[in-house]
Amino acid sequence: MQNNQLTVASVRGLEGPRSRRQLPSWVATTALLMPTYGWLTLAVFLPLLTMLVFSFMSATPMGNAPIVFTLKQYRAFIDQPYLVRIGLTSLMIGFWTTLFCAVLGFLAAVALARSALGKAREVLLILILLPFWTNGLVRVFSWTMVLRENGFLDSILHMVAPDSGSIGFLYTRYAIVVGLVHGYLPYMILTCYIALVTIDDAIIEAAASLGARWWTILFRILVPMAAPGLISGAVLIFIPVIGSFMEPRILGGRVGVTMGTVIEDQFTQAFNWPLGASLSFTLLAVVLAIFATFSGVLRRGTTA
Amino acid sequence: MKQIGRFYLIAVLMFLYTPILVMMAMGFNASPLYELPFTFSTRWYEALLGNRQLLTAGMNSIIIAVITSVVATTLGTMASVALSRRTFRGKNLLQVLLLPPIAIPWLITGTAMLIFFYWSGIGRGMHALLIGHVALAIPYVVLVVGTGFRTIRADLEEAAMSLGSTPIHAFFSVTLPLLYPSILGAALFAFAVSLDQFVISYFLATPGYTTLPVQIYSAIRKGFTPEINAISTLLLLGSMAAILIFARFAKPGDTSDKR
Amino acid sequence: MTNVKVKSVAKTYGAVPVLTDISTEFTEGSFTSLLGPSGSGKTTLLRIIAGFINPDQGAVLIGNNDVTHVPVWGRNIGMMFQSYALFPHMTIAQNVSFGLERRGIKGEAARKEVDRALEMVRLPGFGDRTPKQLSGGQQQRVALARAIVIKPSVLLLDEPLSALDRRLRQEMQVELLRIQRASGLTTIFVTHDQEEALTLSDKVAILDRGRIVQIGAPETVYEKPLTRFAAEFLGDSNFLTGKVEDGAVRLADGTVIHACERLPGNGADVTLAVRPEKMSVATGDTTDNRITARINTVIYAGPVLSYILETADGLPLKLFSQNRDGHVLREGQAVTLNWSREHTVAVAN
Repeated sequence: MQNNQLTVASVRGLEGPRSRRQLPSWVATTALLMPTYGWLTLAVFLPLLTMLVFSFMSATPMGNAPIVFTLKQYRAFIDQPYLVRIGLTSLMIGFWTTLFCAVLGFLAAVALARSALGKAREVLLILILLPFWTNGLVRVFSWTMVLRENGFLDSILHMVAPDSGSIGFLYTRYAIVVGLVHGYLPYMILTCYIALVTIDDAIIEAAASLGARWWTILFRILVPMAAPGLISGAVLIFIPVIGSFMEPRILGGRVGVTMGTVIEDQFTQAFNWPLGASLSFTLLAVVLAIFATFSGVLRRGTTA
Repeated sequence: MKQIGRFYLIAVLMFLYTPILVMMAMGFNASPLYELPFTFSTRWYEALLGNRQLLTAGMNSIIIAVITSVVATTLGTMASVALSRRTFRGKNLLQVLLLPPIAIPWLITGTAMLIFFYWSGIGRGMHALLIGHVALAIPYVVLVVGTGFRTIRADLEEAAMSLGSTPIHAFFSVTLPLLYPSILGAALFAFAVSLDQFVISYFLATPGYTTLPVQIYSAIRKGFTPEINAISTLLLLGSMAAILIFARFAKPGDTSDKR
Repeated sequence: MTNVKVKSVAKTYGAVPVLTDISTEFTEGSFTSLLGPSGSGKTTLLRIIAGFINPDQGAVLIGNNDVTHVPVWGRNIGMMFQSYALFPHMTIAQNVSFGLERRGIKGEAARKEVDRALEMVRLPGFGDRTPKQLSGGQQQRVALARAIVIKPSVLLLDEPLSALDRRLRQEMQVELLRIQRASGLTTIFVTHDQEEALTLSDKVAILDRGRIVQIGAPETVYEKPLTRFAAEFLGDSNFLTGKVEDGAVRLADGTVIHACERLPGNGADVTLAVRPEKMSVATGDTTDNRITARINTVIYAGPVLSYILETADGLPLKLFSQNRDGHVLREGQAVTLNWSREHTVAVAN
């Protein structure tokens, strides 16, 4: 019999436990998850909760002074009208940054998806994403080198027209927007690109065979099909931008007063933590509202 | 059309890289006031060697990034095992809870940490920075390792068990070796996240214990020399290297089997 | 080599019963196919035998040992997966010796076993390659070698051939059968492919919604299906319904059909099943049953011609005939079909 050839195998039998009951699986699951969620609780969830409590205090608790709870921090927008103006500035900066990122990023994604192939496309994508993962502060600092008076931009201009004045626009809102677009553009390119690569070439060819010109293809096919990418990109840019503070500080100088810098001031200069907390929570409410509105699109966008 | 597309991409790359390259070049310009014409000099790099404050901050940044990377990768990988391979109630909620550290603006998270750490007595300084950095890095680790898990078929572990492996042996002999590139990629990613982190560090650092980005920020605001360009260049090159190695390791499809 | 018993096994997911009170025995050295549509519970049953799923009730016995509470890794099973599940980071030899190592067999002894197993699946000398360098069929052979080299008590196959193309699949069927016969392993094979089940098995078990509706030799299950589902899922069938009258069945239009055995009492409603290839166009008066129908569609399928017909009552019928002389019958033509009573089986609905 041929089967005798294989009999040596089970001489020693299995080492594993033969009939020991296993530990209930929730024990292992909990042990695996505890450290991560314990850590996140300590470092993120409890702090957010504490900040919520602080936002109802009348003043930063110091020494033995009694803690008084109040809603006045949330009335700041009414009591101090300049906050409304600053809020609007933040929203406008967020709007323009997102708009520029959307237009420039979408076109770059189209160019990447349709003009580059294979290895070149991969290299280009890495090159585009690489700055995104480097230090944002350093990149903002880099822009001061370009935009300042007699900076790189002026040097270029003076090479062409030696006698012209300065076109450097450091310490303006334009500078803030340029710096922010620079910071977040790769994100938009990535989300649009992910949405665009899934579009079958045949669809474009079908449209072209039906007589569609390039602008028809762009606006009737590519834009609608890339909409989830555009929207998730826009959400994920708008949110950090309205919470930014070092970009306005460094590139905006005195005009760079935004919600972000006002909040920062409460913690580092004014030492009015309850006001900072309530402003932070107002910002967080805006953030959550945006997420809630677009959660469906975002979920589809991230699983694409 | 293809030509226009290529030109446009080149323009985008120029927009992305010009300021960075200008900044780097200025670190090699002799003038302390960034004056042109350009005169090559390495004096700012030499000056850097004598700048104890920047060097200490740089060292702190690296130490924190290494510890963050190790801790976040360990914890995040454990959580990823549970989230990728086990079924239990509340899994969706747990996955959503990974998002706040990534999605909420760091300004909010950072100030919240400041309040809580102050109020609870944890205080600021190195330990506080570590708590914050690890929390920010963990979600990225879970995502990267989770993506790695998706390329490994669950029935490989079942096959090992059918051949006599206990679940633990199956994990260490089959899944872990296949997951190794993802874990390494996640570690590098966590390292880069920590090294580049400024906002959180800004609120949790003390005058006696800062990280490089915090030190650079205060220098930018208080007056600076091209030494800052020199150290910034080194910082950028460091995180770019980490990300490029990450891209090399986390290349999808490397570990999956052929089908 | 051992027999495997399953006793009153049941499994429910949430409120959905997947398996309902399954009891059966897989005898030593036999090759049994679990055949059923997706959702019939065949894979669940296999995974309960393997130990990946705990049954809600009932017991699994391998070689008369109750293994119901023994985890997978203590059961000494050999298993083949739909996706091959070869370890991509190990060589072929390392893959095959994985189970041997778990049993404390290492070094030279293990190497010999591995060589022998690879020879058995006709891949001698492939030990140093990696799974990625092998074709799908070759990977499947390695998976088989890996499963049998440990001398398992039972070989469990979870649709292992479904990922292969038709040709390779037929080749692997022959190979699988050869190796199973040679090793004498009790084998349980999950498939949704009826042809595969008939070709390979000593016994076919047909599962429907969590129950084994019929288990037996392929001929028995094919020729004498017990239920309408079995008759329909395994092969094609024509169904005729009527009432029992004096040991025969009278259809609605008055036609009297004779069946083989097992008819209920007079007046009972009954469904009869007849295989389409058992019918033929009447040439004489010799057979037991006849029915008249009109040809609606003629389908040419190479060796077989099939016809779709309809009786005057609107009852649909199928007829398969060997392609000996090409098409003899045309669409629209009325024909009388006849067949023998032995091929007429009463089935439960």
